[in-house]
Amino acid sequence: MSYAVPGGRATSRLLTEERYVPADPQSPNKPLFTGSSQLLVARLVARSHYYLPVSRQRQSVAERFRELVQAWRADIGPLSSATVMAMHPAYQRIIGLGIDAVPLILRELRREPDHWFWALKAITGVDPVESSQRGRVREMARAWLRWGEEQEMLS
Amino acid sequence: MNHRIEDHFPNLRPGEYEITSPPSNEYNCIAWAAGQSDAWWEPDPANLYYWPPGQPRRLELDAYVRAFAALGYAHCHAGDLEPGFEKVALYADAMGTPTHAARQLRNGSWTSKLGQLEDIEHEALDCVSGPDYGDVAIFLRRAIHEQPK
Repeated sequence: MSYAVPGGRATSRLLTEERYVPADPQSPNKPLFTGSSQLLVARLVARSHYYLPVSRQRQSVAERFRELVQAWRADIGPLSSATVMAMHPAYQRIIGLGIDAVPLILRELRREPDHWFWALKAITGVDPVESSQRGRVREMARAWLRWGEEQEMLS
Repeated sequence: MNHRIEDHFPNLRPGEYEITSPPSNEYNCIAWAAGQSDAWWEPDPANLYYWPPGQPRRLELDAYVRAFAALGYAHCHAGDLEPGFEKVALYADAMGTPTHAARQLRNGSWTSKLGQLEDIEHEALDCVSGPDYGDVAIFLRRAIHEQPK
């Protein structure tokens, strides 16, 4: 992944030569996005590095999680695609926190249902949401909270 | 006036739109354009969200056109008010990636759900054009079937 701030020369290089392209979860050797979507993700990468520089990354998992949530929420307001929201680098870093992040995500989901489903599925490898619940955010959140209680990840 | 919305949409000026709902992350513009406010519609490849059954799950305009075609919509040339039809405008960024959908109301103005923000009613389609949503790429329409009184 490249590090850059918006508007600098590094950003231009990022956009033209060093795009961050996440893999398709169903075909890890293929990019999830092609063509125009890659540019959108690259723009989010650049913005994320501006808001969360490497020098502020020596923190506890809970502290990092809170900052990453804040950085993610600051950017996603008008986005209409949960897929694009999930490609936001702050969201990807939350996934990168691994299993330690799951209780934090579940508590956040209990506090305020939101689009944490991609992260939960990516980290845990399971999806307790039934097909009739897909898209219904509160029902999806309830399914994950129930799973969290069953796994004793949520007190 | 809502500074949070206007910060994201530089072409949206006070007096040119009306907020018609509270913010919500439970539905998006695609669901709202399709007439639903109880689900988030998304052609995500991970199959997490609702998408009309049998339609392609790709973040591409063609997938959105086909999803709306499943609801009876077909291509049309413009967003002017046509009696007997309801219309949807699909927006895309400069590279052709779908970003937004707005639905025409009976009075000719448009309703847009702005991501996880509010719904707004706006007269001009270019009110929400700009860096986030790009511009209108495709117009779709379907016949309105009036219920007998």
